[in-house]
Parts: sequence; C-alpha cells; structure tokens
Amino acid sequence: MSPSQSVLLSYFDSEEHVLDATRAVREAGYAVHDVYTPYAIHGMDEAMGLKPSRLTWVCFGAGVLGATSALSLQYYTSVVSWPLNVGGKPFNSFPAFIPVAFELTVLFAGLFTVAAFLLRSKSFPGSKREALPRVTDDRFVLALRADESDAKVKALLARHGALEVEQMEVAS
Amino acid sequence: MSSSGIVVGPNVRRICMAVAALGLSALGAGLALSPTRGFSSLLINGFFFLTLALGGAVFLALNSVANAGWYTVFKRIPEAFASYVPVGAASLLVVLAGLPSLYLWARPGVMETDHLLHQKAAFLNAPGFALRMAVMLAIWAFFTWRLRRNSLAQDSDASPHPTQRNVATSAVFLVLFSITFCLASFDWLMSLEPHWFSTIYGLYNIAGMLASSVAAITLAVVLMKGSGRMKEINTSHLHDLGKLMFGFATLWAYLWFSQFLLIWYSNIPEETVYFIHRMHGGWAPLFYLNLALNWAVPFVLLLPKPAKRNPFHLCVVAGIMLAGRWLDLHLMISPANMPEYTGVGVWDAAGLLGLGALFVLTVTRTMGSVPLIARHDPYLVESLHHHT
Repeated sequence: MSPSQSVLLSYFDSEEHVLDATRAVREAGYAVHDVYTPYAIHGMDEAMGLKPSRLTWVCFGAGVLGATSALSLQYYTSVVSWPLNVGGKPFNSFPAFIPVAFELTVLFAGLFTVAAFLLRSKSFPGSKREALPRVTDDRFVLALRADESDAKVKALLARHGALEVEQMEVAS
Repeated sequence: MSSSGIVVGPNVRRICMAVAALGLSALGAGLALSPTRGFSSLLINGFFFLTLALGGAVFLALNSVANAGWYTVFKRIPEAFASYVPVGAASLLVVLAGLPSLYLWARPGVMETDHLLHQKAAFLNAPGFALRMAVMLAIWAFFTWRLRRNSLAQDSDASPHPTQRNVATSAVFLVLFSITFCLASFDWLMSLEPHWFSTIYGLYNIAGMLASSVAAITLAVVLMKGSGRMKEINTSHLHDLGKLMFGFATLWAYLWFSQFLLIWYSNIPEETVYFIHRMHGGWAPLFYLNLALNWAVPFVLLLPKPAKRNPFHLCVVAGIMLAGRWLDLHLMISPANMPEYTGVGVWDAAGLLGLGALFVLTVTRTMGSVPLIARHDPYLVESLHHHT
C-alpha cells in the first residue's frame, strides 16, 4: 500500500466559482492539494500559488540532446565511419546536417516533454489512477488538505458555490 | 481612459526636425556627390522604414482577419506606423532618379550585349520598373488609408460596423500585399544583381518585415506603457508581442536557411554568385553577424517565459532585431555595387538618421492627433482583460 492522505473534495459547476473558491481558501490559510478541471483555466496558476513549471527545463534539455545527437550521428557516419564524396562537398558539411538536427531537436523536445508530463502526473497507459466523476466533462474540483469536520471550511466552500463536499483518501 | 494629447514634447520634436533636416540634406548631397553609395543608402533606409510602416498595416490586417481582440488596446501604435506609408513611398520614388547608379540593367549598353539580361529585357526596363513601383506604392497607400479611416470611424460609432468593414478591407489587402511585396522585393532588391535569382526571396523579405515591425511595435508599446501614457497595456500584451518576435525571428532564420541551403547544395555558379562575395573578404564578418543579430541572439534571449514579460529585456531584444534587419538590408543591397567591403559610410548614417527622424516625426504626429485608446471598438473590453 502506498501512503495515502485525506483530502476534502469540493465540486463546482463553473470556472469562476472554482477560481474564486481557490483564492478564498488560500487567503483563509488552507493548503490546496490540487484543482481538477476539464480544461486549463486562466489565472488558476496564480490562484493556486503554483511555482513555474519545471517541464520547460525538460523540453530545453531534450532539445539540446536532440541537436547534439543528430549532429554527432551525422558527423560520425559521414566523416569517421563511412566517408562518401557527395558532389565534391567536404565530408564535414555543416549546412547539410542542419535539417536533420532541426527535426531531431523538435522531435526530442516534443516527445520527452509529453513523456515527462505523463510520468510525473502518473497518467501513463496502464496507470491505476482514476479520474473523479465528471471532471473531464462539466465539473470543477478543488481538493484541499483539510478535514470534513472543520465547519468553517465547509461554510467557506458553500459560500463560493460548492455543490457538494466529500472526504477522500488519495495516494500522496 | 487616455485622452488625445501630445505624445512627445516640443523639444523632442524640434530635435527630430533638426536631425531630419540635417540627415536628409546630407543624404541629398550624397546622391549628388557619390551616387552609388548615396542611392544605396536611400534604398536601404527608405526600404527599412517603409517596411516598418507596412509591417504595422500587415499586423493590423492579420489581427483583423483573425478576429483577434488582444491587440486593440495598443492598435493606435501600428496604425501610426502605417501612416508613414505615403512618406516612405515618396522616399522610394526618389530611387527612380538614380536607376543607373544602382541597377546594372539600367545602364546604357548593358542589355544589348549581355545575353542573359537581354532575355529579361521585357521585365527589367526603366518604364516598367517605374510603373510597377508607382502602382504598388499606390495600392499600399490606399489600403493603409482605408484601414485607418475605418478604425477612426469606429471611435464615433457605437455599432461594430466599421470594425467589420475592416475585416473585408484587410482580407483584400493581405492578398494584394503578399503578391505586390514579393514583386517589390524582386524588383527593388533582387534585380540589383540581375543575373541572380531566388524564388524564396520575396517570402524571405516578408519574414524580415514581420520580425522587424513586431520588434518596432514592441519597442513603441513598452515606451508608451513606461511613460504612463498607455497604462492599460498589461504584461500579457508584452508576453504575446515577445512570442511574436520570437516566432518571426525564427521564421526569418528558417527562410534564410532555406534560401542558403539550396544554393549551397546545388552549387550552380549563376546562383552561388550571390553568396560568394558576401561570405568571403570584408563582407564575411557581417554575413555571420547578420545570423546572430536576426536569429541566434533573439532566440536565446527570448526563450525563457519571464524574458518575454520583462519590458526592459524586450526593448533590448527589439533593438538587436532592428539593428539586424538594417544589417540584413545593407547586406542585400550594398554588395551588389560594392563587392569589396568599404564600411558603413557617412551616407548610410545620413540616410538612417534623416529618414529615421522623419519616421519618428510622422508616427508621433499621427499618435498625438487622436485618442490613444480606440473607443467603441468591439474588442476593447476583451483587450483590456487580456490574459495569457
């Protein structure tokens, strides 16, 4: 069994409500576990107090890796391993290597970023994670590290339009 | 909301007028004393500022046909740029007075004796060149005037009709512009070396125009925001302008390389002639500097997200890109008649200062003549709340 923690889930029916509620609970000093929405919401990053994503560094690193592997593979094959005279050009013809380097930069950056995202969010194929009901359709869920017995937080959530509040054990 | 007012102080205007008068008379002297260098400078600087102005019009038209609303809060800036089109057109018409100084095909006796050029005589001749130039400049001036008129009509009209009319005007303008601008860069720039040809040359110049004009718009936006005259501009507007600078700089590099790679690979003398004297001798350092200023440096500097949201940082990159665009034109135009590098001369500086001051005067005058915020524009509210 992986360690689990208890979170308080509150369901909303619009992005304005969940955005307001997120701001309000953070101002009241509660810790936001996560927010689950059918689509990206403008201003949610600031409302949740998220730090800048580290995914950009994965993207940059993968791009650099793609460029260097493309250039070194082309250099190795056309200069070291099997030099061929193509139209009298030098073996090490840098301009000819650029298109492949460009393609591999884009390919590596794209695939590695998607892979890193899926791994980090544990939503790769075969993952046992389940989505909350309707959260991929028309519901917005705010998950708090709080307890159901705390009447103040329930009142706060209700005031900001929470339709339903429930306690749940989730993998931490 | 900001009201109409003077955008620059009277002292700045006086200095601009003095610089314009001094620069333009020096350029005039250059045309008479040293026609080749003088007319090269006129073509570089005339085209540089005309394309900044056209870039403003194209920026408006592109956003208009896309029904985009984010740019409305600062749309008076590209509009003011576009108001320079007639002035820039006039500066380009002066080139007609010095065709033989710039263009090999306009020199007496050349067309009759050179077989390759003789084949192109139906296109490369002075009357045809002048006619095409006049028609293209007139089309651009007409459409920029229409775009501006509809936009100003919206200020006193609560219905969205003037803005809707501009969508149609923009669509027609974009189609005509892409054809005429390619033709203009073939005519005015590529025919400087009439034996050489490159079909991607027009597209390459459109990319240069887009990159430099977005850089110039960003510079103006930051200046207007920084001086407190357009407080409504927010960080998201800057972020989007930064993305466009980044994207167009990369488009420029893509097209630059597409042109270079095919010529380098096929290695046919009538095509490589263009790059031979630019990649060897005195021009070579500038050839590589061109790539650095227009793509490598802006690409690295604009890559992180915070960089695109920092006004000062954007100004620095915009300055680099504008210097790069000028150098790019210098490299397209000057080596045609000066294969041996002779340095950036006093005539180049005179043209840059004279026409630059004229550009600043025209743009600030237009900006000061109307309210800075486009009232009644149906997209204004969306733009005020723009968030990326």
